[in-house]
Amino acid sequence: MPAAESYLKPEVIRQIKRLDLRAQFIARGFLHGLHASPYHGFSVEFSEHRKYTPGDDPKDIDWLIYAKTDKFYVKKFEAETNITGYLVMDLSRSMGYTYRQELTKFDYAICLAAALCYLMIHQQDPVGLITFDERIRNSLAPRSRRRHLGDVLSLLANLKPAGKTDVAHSLTQVAAMLRHASLVMVFSDLLADPDPILQALRRLRHGGHDVILFHVLDEAEVRFPFEGVVEFEDPETNDRLQLDAANFRREYLDELESLRQVYRRECSRTRIDYVEIDTSMQFDKALTEYLVSRKARY
Amino acid sequence: MTFVNPWFLAGTALIAVPIVLHLIMRRRPRHFEFPALRLLEKRHETNQRRLRLRHLLLLALRVAAIALLAAALARPSVKLSGSWGSQEAPVAAALVFDTAPRMDYRHENRTRLEAARELGSWLLAQFPADSQIAVLDTRPGPAAFQVDRGAAKHRIERLETAANSQPLVRALDEAVALLGRSDLARREIYLFGDLARAGWPRERAAALRSRLAAMPDVGVYVVDVGVDDPTNSSLGDLRLSAEVISSRTPLRLETEIAHRGLGGERTVEVQILARGTGESQASQLVPQRRDGRTVALESGQVAPIEFQIRNLDVGTHQGWVEIVGQDGLPWDDRRFFTVEVTPAWRILVAAPNPADRYALFLTEMLAPTQLRRTGEARFECDVIDLGRLANTALERYGAVFLVDPTALEEDVWRRLGDYVSAGRGVAVFLGRNARSVESFNRPAAQELLAGKLLRQARRPDGSLYLAPRHLEHPILAAFRDLAESVPWQLAPVYRYWQLDEPAGGVHVVVPFSDGAPAILERPLGRGRAVTMTTPVSDDPNRQPWNLLPVESWPFFMLANEMASYLVGSKDRQLNYFAGQTVTLQLDPEKEFRTYVLAPLDSDAPEVRLTPDLRRHMLTVTSTDDVGNYRVQAGGIASGVDLGFSVNLASAATELDRLSDEELAELFGPVPYRVARNRHQLEGDRTMQRVGRELFPLLIALLALTLGLEHVLSNRFYRE
Repeated sequence: MPAAESYLKPEVIRQIKRLDLRAQFIARGFLHGLHASPYHGFSVEFSEHRKYTPGDDPKDIDWLIYAKTDKFYVKKFEAETNITGYLVMDLSRSMGYTYRQELTKFDYAICLAAALCYLMIHQQDPVGLITFDERIRNSLAPRSRRRHLGDVLSLLANLKPAGKTDVAHSLTQVAAMLRHASLVMVFSDLLADPDPILQALRRLRHGGHDVILFHVLDEAEVRFPFEGVVEFEDPETNDRLQLDAANFRREYLDELESLRQVYRRECSRTRIDYVEIDTSMQFDKALTEYLVSRKARY
Repeated sequence: MTFVNPWFLAGTALIAVPIVLHLIMRRRPRHFEFPALRLLEKRHETNQRRLRLRHLLLLALRVAAIALLAAALARPSVKLSGSWGSQEAPVAAALVFDTAPRMDYRHENRTRLEAARELGSWLLAQFPADSQIAVLDTRPGPAAFQVDRGAAKHRIERLETAANSQPLVRALDEAVALLGRSDLARREIYLFGDLARAGWPRERAAALRSRLAAMPDVGVYVVDVGVDDPTNSSLGDLRLSAEVISSRTPLRLETEIAHRGLGGERTVEVQILARGTGESQASQLVPQRRDGRTVALESGQVAPIEFQIRNLDVGTHQGWVEIVGQDGLPWDDRRFFTVEVTPAWRILVAAPNPADRYALFLTEMLAPTQLRRTGEARFECDVIDLGRLANTALERYGAVFLVDPTALEEDVWRRLGDYVSAGRGVAVFLGRNARSVESFNRPAAQELLAGKLLRQARRPDGSLYLAPRHLEHPILAAFRDLAESVPWQLAPVYRYWQLDEPAGGVHVVVPFSDGAPAILERPLGRGRAVTMTTPVSDDPNRQPWNLLPVESWPFFMLANEMASYLVGSKDRQLNYFAGQTVTLQLDPEKEFRTYVLAPLDSDAPEVRLTPDLRRHMLTVTSTDDVGNYRVQAGGIASGVDLGFSVNLASAATELDRLSDEELAELFGPVPYRVARNRHQLEGDRTMQRVGRELFPLLIALLALTLGLEHVLSNRFYRE
């Protein structure tokens, strides 16, 4: 398992370059990142600076930025947002799977979670972490302090996907645990019966929480690149299945699509953001989803 | 089905190997973890069934591959027809060679017969030991198996073309009959020929087919040594104006020259044999060029050629028409002819008084004044009064014509009868003077006349005319080419004598348009008497019985032909085709016990012939070689010197080839194979004897099976 900092390594940062979130992770490159970003407008909102407007105290103007940009920015001393985010991480054995990618589904989800955590903490949004398998295993109360980032990343770095999972039960527990309306970001491969999971998600929504459901699958699970006669084994149940992969691809992909379709439909109905990602995709899709969700909310 | 290596079939037992492997050593599939297994499980059942099917398919392909390999190594072959048995079993084979003159066509410095001989000799060496081999050709003769292979080889080497060659179909027929007598199981016929249409007459094909069909196990091979696009110039059959001509008339020779191949000019000449003038050549016949034509011909073009030879002396003349130079086929470059030139025939025309007036039309038709003056008239007519007939020496005349006779004495009729019986001819033109019907119906007259006179029939409306129906009679030979276009109806007949039932042996030569007899012939002894029931002497202005002499050119021809017939010039045939029996009339007054037949154009030896003295005929059957022949007896000065010519029918040298469709039609359902060279012949024989080898097919199937197996297994077990 890589060290906590590895989630902020350049390759991870590079994945979100097009979102221009580079400045969120690297303070020194903040302004450069802003200018390079196509999401300039977004960036300003969650940066530590905002444009000078008449009435602001001129002493708050950041002269260093002025020197670089010829524009007036004032340092933002107060959090302009107070959204509380929870990163809900699936610890099941199946999350530790990859067929031919560098990152397992779990690694990918952690990278994503770390990036989001970094973003939120740098906006001084409090972020909490909840991990679960068949039930909630760890929880870290939301904090917005910078130091909290280290705690979260440290915990994330020490997680290992193992054992079976019960997403629906765990989410029900999460719903019962959260008191205030929060932004709940669930990272799971959702390889279980969708009905109870959707039921639990609806319960979360009912509790006043906003939910972003990151459906993380391995690239092999999305494309089914196998050929010939293959015996597959479920890592959680150890069930085995022998089949002619090449001829089964179409049927598998149809089945996967119908599963995703169920989630798409039901999430749309309950205003849950459902994000389909796989381990071959760039992080920007997930992060953009978060940004869009946050902007829509405030 | 037969196998070259049948023990390899045991290899098919190896198909058990993939089955066992399939059952006990099924290939382990590759193992993968896959968390989304629950998504697979839903549709697993159908996939599993398909997987099993594929496994079975793969197994079937592997089994098939082993079976095919074993079968291919066993080298099976399927026999399409013919007898079964080992390839080395003895065979009864008939090698039939077409020895028609066409086979002398030279191409690439080899005649077709030489090419056939070469292939035949090679084939001979291919037959298994103890084979029965017969070598046949198309010359007439019995067919038999040769004593041994050496004899067969010798026979092939001695094959020659022959003018009297029979159609190949006939020889094939004999070959089938010969093989039918063989006790060997395998029987084969090889036909060596140029596949020319002339060698395969359709009318014999049906009989051949039925004969071959009765022996379905006989393998038939057609060895084609012909040339697709031959280059050749050829003369058609020679047509003489007459084979016996008067010394006063020219000899007209007609033929045509045909050409195929590269166009160009061809020269055609007439050569006539004449006694040499020098001392050393005094008794020899030397060819002298009498005329020549040069014609420019393109491929496929046919040009008519005509020569007129004048001033031939009385006697037998022989010669030939030939294309100068050489070409692929020499046989059709020269056509021989023999013509006998006689003094102008004397004809006695007897008529009532005034005889000259009665005989005017007839004598003008037979010997027109203009030709008499120039000395070119074929006939010399003496006109006498009927009353003088009894005292006239008839023997001096070739024929006697009675023009509208009145009643004659019985003695006169008897004299005329004797005259005819001696081999001469009499023509009687009945007319208005035959009023005394009884005198014509008396026995003496009826010996000569065609039948009893009944009454005069009248057709004043002019709707009656001569209407010949069949043109077989020699009198009508000149009209054969004209056929329907002759305007007989221009000369009406108003009155004629109706005859009672014709006497025995009498036949109608020319009827009227209503079917009543107009001209009848009655053979008598060695001669013949012709009766015409309407006269040829009526003045057209005095209620004539007909307008035949004045209105009709056809009757002019008819009268001349009738005269030629009665004087006997049409009896003599001097020009024959090869193989025909030659019959020469002998002069009863100048007969010898033996005659010598000498061919002038070949090296064949002279032959002594014995005449049929009773019938005054000499028969020659040895006419196999074309050319001019001379028949002599009694020495040059006072003996007999006859001649005849033997030609090859132009149809026999036509090089047009049978198309594949025509050949297939000839053989009908009988299987046959056509080969043009050794390679094809060998292939055909192998296929016929051994059958079609299935090795290439099996190997192709094996490759296909292995390929499929490879593709499918790769698809199933892709790494």
